[in-house]
Formats: sequence, C-alpha cells, structure tokens
Amino acid sequence: MPDVQSTVLEFVNKLRKRKIEGSQATAKCTVELLRSVISQQRVPHSNQASALIDAVKAVGEQLVAANPVELAVGNVVRRVLHIIREEDLSLATAAMAGLDLLDASDDDDDGNDHNCKGVGYMSAAVAAAAAARSTLRPPSLQTLLEGTPESAAVPYTSSSGADSESKTADKSSITRKLKHDVIEGVNHLILEIAGCHEQIAEQAIEHIHQNEVILTLGSSRTVLEFLCAAKEKKRSFRVFVSEGAPRYQGHLLAKELVARGLQTTVITDSAVFAMISRVNMVIIGAHAVMANGGVIGPVGVNMAALAAKKHAVPFVVLAGSHKLCPLYPHNPEVLLNELRSPSELLDFGEFSDCLDFGAGSGSPLLQVVNPTFDYVPPNLVSLFITDTGGHNPSYMYRLIADYYSADDLVM
Amino acid sequence: MWRRSASFILDDERRRTSDSPPMAADNTTTARAPFQNPDAISAYYQTRAAHHGVITSDWLAQAQAAVGGVSGEEHPDSSAAELGKEKTFNVIEEFNGWRKQPDLAEAVAAIRALAAVIRASEASTMMELEIELKKASDTLKLWDKTSISLTAGCDLFIRYVTRTSALEYEDFNSAKSRLLERAEKFGEISCKARKIIAMLSQDFIFDGCTILVHGLSRVVLEILKTAAQNNKLFRVLCTEGRPDGTGVLLSNELSKLDVPVKLLLDSAVAYSMDEVDMVFVGADGVVESGGIINMMGTYQIALVAHSMNKPVYVAAESYKFARLYPLDQKDMAPALRPIEFGVKIPAKVEVEMSARDYTPPQYLTLLFTDLGVLSPSVVSDELIQLYL
Repeated sequence: MPDVQSTVLEFVNKLRKRKIEGSQATAKCTVELLRSVISQQRVPHSNQASALIDAVKAVGEQLVAANPVELAVGNVVRRVLHIIREEDLSLATAAMAGLDLLDASDDDDDGNDHNCKGVGYMSAAVAAAAAARSTLRPPSLQTLLEGTPESAAVPYTSSSGADSESKTADKSSITRKLKHDVIEGVNHLILEIAGCHEQIAEQAIEHIHQNEVILTLGSSRTVLEFLCAAKEKKRSFRVFVSEGAPRYQGHLLAKELVARGLQTTVITDSAVFAMISRVNMVIIGAHAVMANGGVIGPVGVNMAALAAKKHAVPFVVLAGSHKLCPLYPHNPEVLLNELRSPSELLDFGEFSDCLDFGAGSGSPLLQVVNPTFDYVPPNLVSLFITDTGGHNPSYMYRLIADYYSADDLVM
Repeated sequence: MWRRSASFILDDERRRTSDSPPMAADNTTTARAPFQNPDAISAYYQTRAAHHGVITSDWLAQAQAAVGGVSGEEHPDSSAAELGKEKTFNVIEEFNGWRKQPDLAEAVAAIRALAAVIRASEASTMMELEIELKKASDTLKLWDKTSISLTAGCDLFIRYVTRTSALEYEDFNSAKSRLLERAEKFGEISCKARKIIAMLSQDFIFDGCTILVHGLSRVVLEILKTAAQNNKLFRVLCTEGRPDGTGVLLSNELSKLDVPVKLLLDSAVAYSMDEVDMVFVGADGVVESGGIINMMGTYQIALVAHSMNKPVYVAAESYKFARLYPLDQKDMAPALRPIEFGVKIPAKVEVEMSARDYTPPQYLTLLFTDLGVLSPSVVSDELIQLYL
C-alpha cells in the first residue's frame, strides 16, 4: 500500500506541474496507475466491488483536483469505475445461473423442499439482478416508479446463503475472480486508448476523396495519422495547415506531412476566413468532447468552426474514446480553459517596462492573455469520428451512456 | 374544424353554415360522451389559472395543511361508499380533488386518482385490475384532452403496472399493496424531482447574470429560490404573462427572496433580450421531438433568444415526456382560454384563445430534468426506452 501511495503522489505532482503533455499520454498513465491501485488493494470477502470503487474514487478525486482542465483524467477514472460495476454485475448474474444449475442437480435427491428454496432464490435473484442492472444505466422514465432498488448487496446475501449448502470452494473462486476480471477489463481499456489512432485512421478513406482540399489547425497526432492513412490508400489531396500561434505547432505538422509526401500549404490563423471558401473540409483533433456535443479544442478552432459554418464547409472532429466527457459545460471558456505564460506571445526583454508591476499604480497597463483552449458549440460541428465510427453531435450522449455509469458523474 | 386555408372568407361562410345544424340539434345531445367536459375551455388551464390566483408561499402553507388533511380522509371514504356502478365518475371527482392542491403536480394527481381506483377495486386477478385501470385512465384522458401531464402520468402508471416483472412473482394482494405504495411514493418522487432539477441547474446560474423567465412554473421558481439561498447574485426579468398575469405573481415571490426583479410587457422581450444571459422556462409537456409545449409566448421568446444567441433552458420533470409529435402550432388538441380585454369586443371580431404553443427543439439549448441534464435529442431516446 505505501508504495502505491507514493506513486499516486508522484503522479499528482506531475499533473499539477503540467509535466505530462497530451490527453492520450495522460489517460494511459492514469489507467496504469489505477491498475496498480486495484491490484494492490486488499478486498474483503463480501461487498468487494464497493471496496474497489471507494479506493479508485479516492485516488481519482486527487487526480482530478490536481489538473481539472485535463478532462481525460476524470474520464478514465469514470471508465474504470464503470468497468468495476459491470464486472461485478456479470459475476453476480453468473453466480445466479450457477446456483440455479446446482439446485436443479440436487432436485433428484432431496425432492420438493430444495426445489421450492431454489425457486425462492431464483425469483429474488431475478428481481435483484434486474434491479442491479438498472442501477448501471442512467435513471430513466422506466425506473421512475420502481424507486431505488437495493444495491448489489442482495446478490451477495443469496450467494452467502449458498454457503450453507457447502459451496465455499466455489464462492472463494468467485471473489478472486472479480479482481481478475476488473484487471482484465482495465488492460482492455489501456489497449483501446493506445490503439485509438489506428481505429480512427481506418475510417479516413471514407471521408477524404480525390482532389480534396483539407484545412487543419495546429498539430494533432490523430489528424496526422488520419491524413496519412488516406494518402496510403492512394488518395491525392492537399492540406492547408493553420500555424497555430503562439506555439506554431502547425509548422511541425507541415514538416511531417511533407515528409510523407502530401502537398501542404501553411497559412496564418487570421487567414482562415479568407481561405475557407477554397477548402472542402475542416478536420481537427479535439482536447475533449462534452456530453452536449461541444468540443474543447486548441485555441483558434472556434474561429475556424464559425468560418466553416458561414461557407457551409463540413467541420469534422476526431476524438478517441478517452476524450468523451460525461459532463455538460456551463461556462467552458472560463472553467475548462488554461492560461499559459505570456512569454509565448511577448518577449519579456522588449516589454519589461510595460509589464512592470512595481511602477505606478501597481498593476501594469499592458496585459497579456494566452488561453490554451477554445470551446466550439455543438451546432457548428458536422461530424465526430471516434474509434467506434462516425457520429452526429446529438448522438454523443449515447456513447457516454455506454461508457459511464450515472453514479460516477460527481467526483 | 382547424382552419388552414388562407381564404378566410370561404371559411367564414362554411363556419356560419356549419354552426346552424348543431344549434338545432342541441336538444338531442346524445352524441356527446357522458363525461365529456361541456365547454371547449380547457379544464387544465382553468385549474392553472385558479392556482395562479392563489399561489403565494404564505397561502401555500395553509392550503397544504387544510386541503391535505381534509381530502386525505374524505376521498377513501367516498370511494369506499360508491363501489360498483359509480366508479368511473369517482375517478374524475377524485382527480379534480387532488388537482386543486396548488403544490401538487398534475401527473401526481392523476396517479393518486388511479391509486384510488385500485383501492376501490374488487378485482381478484392482475388482468382484471389492469382492465379497470385502463378504463379509468381512458375516462380521465377523455375528460380533459388538453392536459399533457395527465396523459403522461396515466400512461406511465399503466405502463408500470403492465411491465413490472417483479409483480408476476408475488401473489395478488401483495402486488396490489405494492402498487398502492408506489403510487403514494410517486408524490414524494415528484417533490424530489423538483429539488434534483434545482440542484442540477445551479451551475448554470453564475454571479451577475440576468435571467429571463416566462410563465409561472413551480420548477423554475424552485430553481431560482435555491439559487437565491445559495447566495448567488442574479436578477430576473419576467414577462407580464397575459392573460394569466404570471409576471406579477412571480415578481411577488422573487421580491420576497430579495432578488431584483423587472417586469416586462410580453412585447418588450426582444427589446430587452440584449441584456439577458439566459432564458428559463418550465414546460406543460415535453414532446417526442424534444420540443416543448408551454404557455403561449414561449415560442416567441425562444425565437428571439435563438436569433440573439442566448441559451434557452427548460426545466421539466421526466413524467411530462409525452408521445406526441406536433408538426406545427395547430397540430395539437386545441386548449382554449377566455381572455378579458377590459373593453367590450364587437361580436364579429375573433379572438385567438389558444393557451399554449409548441416550441421546436432547435430553439432549445438544454432540458433540466430529474433524469439529468439532457439535450433535446435525448428525449426521444428516453421515450423509446419506456414505450418500446
């Protein structure tokens, strides 16, 4: 336990100092950390799932507090919690099925008595399983009248009842199974995060056609692989890259695209509106996608989205599943944004007299604001391409309902 | 009966000729169903108007105590007394009794009325009970076709009765008592729903914002009350809300909470939309497309807000979701309400008496429900889950 705590603290520090760049790297590190937390966690014999959930939640809260703007951290924590709940539920239903079989086999020997008990267990178990299943789904009209079903404690009472029929060997194997299944699920999640680029790039050929002109902003690895995948399938097209001041990462992207043999043009951010009428499609990578279909992207995408809307150019957003956030943004420009150092814009040496805090009234007349992110409302986005396929912005809530449980939304 | 033709002269003649036969046949009004509401005036909006007349927080407390105590005892007695023939009549009276309570939601009143049917029922099997419930719910729906919450509440309860698998495993009496218990609980759920909605919407109200409110929705009032209690600084612009006068009532309530309020004429909305940060409305019903049916004037405000890029937030409990899909404004059952102009109107002049309008989903930003924050496209998904 103590060395897990120290790794957690180390990671929290890294997050706080913004040492990890990029949501994919952050997501991967977070999942690996949670995996070690789970494997090191000692679980009691009954109600294992809640012990695991509490442990993961405790660590998750620390991580989210360290870097609230990096939404991938919270997303991944919620995914892991959802995995725990799902595995728990499937084990519980498997246990029911196991009970049922064993009761049936006892029937011949013990007659009606056991039969009735078996049926009693079955009906209670079916009701409990149905109730537990409904807790995983977000609250709906259907469950409105059913009220709050009892938690997964019920399947455990019936499985502990099975103890009396001397199935202790089976039961301890079930308890060990939960952790094992959860770790398997988490490994699967790690593979999914690592493989999101390939999954998205596979769909490139359907969206990019011959002799098209594509506009992109800044530098995103997903976009790079997307465009290269299309190039490999022998599509010939041109790319306009907006340079993405103040970091000028567009320059790096342009270099890589030329290295892979694509015709590239570099433009300034301010020229986007001027060039948009010559462009067939805008493709950008997202930092995060919110539950209403809104996109948090690198600064400047909102302008590109507005320009695209004005000229009826499709605006396509590429996002891996670890970027889907179940929260609705209520003030994204302020709350989900980060201000970086003004030195990226202005050279301190030249402007030292304007930026001087000591002189005059105490606050300088010249202020520099350097936001990292931009929010694009959902009505400006035409299509989302995730590793599961292409979706409408109004469909994002469905994916989110699949990946996350309602209980984990508040951390 | 719904006039769509632009040639109003022809329509006028048609109307005049069609009016005369029914007048002659007035004596033989057997065509009308016995429990049909006699006027075309919507009972739902009349009750709302009655509520608006009295709904102040001091009165509420007394009214709850008074009405709750009395009707709670009376109704079971009366329903026990009138078994057999008078049962369907009972449902409507029952329903009206519950509906008169100003703080009780429409759907809760409907479900309580159906619970009274169960209590008074002599059925011995689930099937019989279901048939009786279906008949009672049809009667209620027929009595007031314009109330969406009523229809939705009835449908929800019938659906719950027919679909709950857990009921199949229990014997009849325990199933019956379970249904009654659930119906009673529904009232609590409704109250909790308002609290949940208020909690969800707190994040969206920031310090220094200006909120435009239309109509007097109890849910929106709860939202604003909670925000005021959380010491948020905001001000409210409320529309006058003719003919119900909701604006004055709302401003009364808000001034008690020390929230700065400004009253607007209904026509002054576009004029003031510049300084508004968000629009909050309630809903009489949420339809399948994700749009809402609400007090007359909501569509107008949503259009103006949309053209000026202001978000429109709807606060509605989940049992208001209805299986309707209006294609335009006149595509719903007409709900009429008498309007007083203060002066005498010549007989030839028509008055648009409709009490509600339909706001299409593209003008709404988000819906706050007890199922969570939803965008309008999620509504049809929820309805499919329930009714499939």
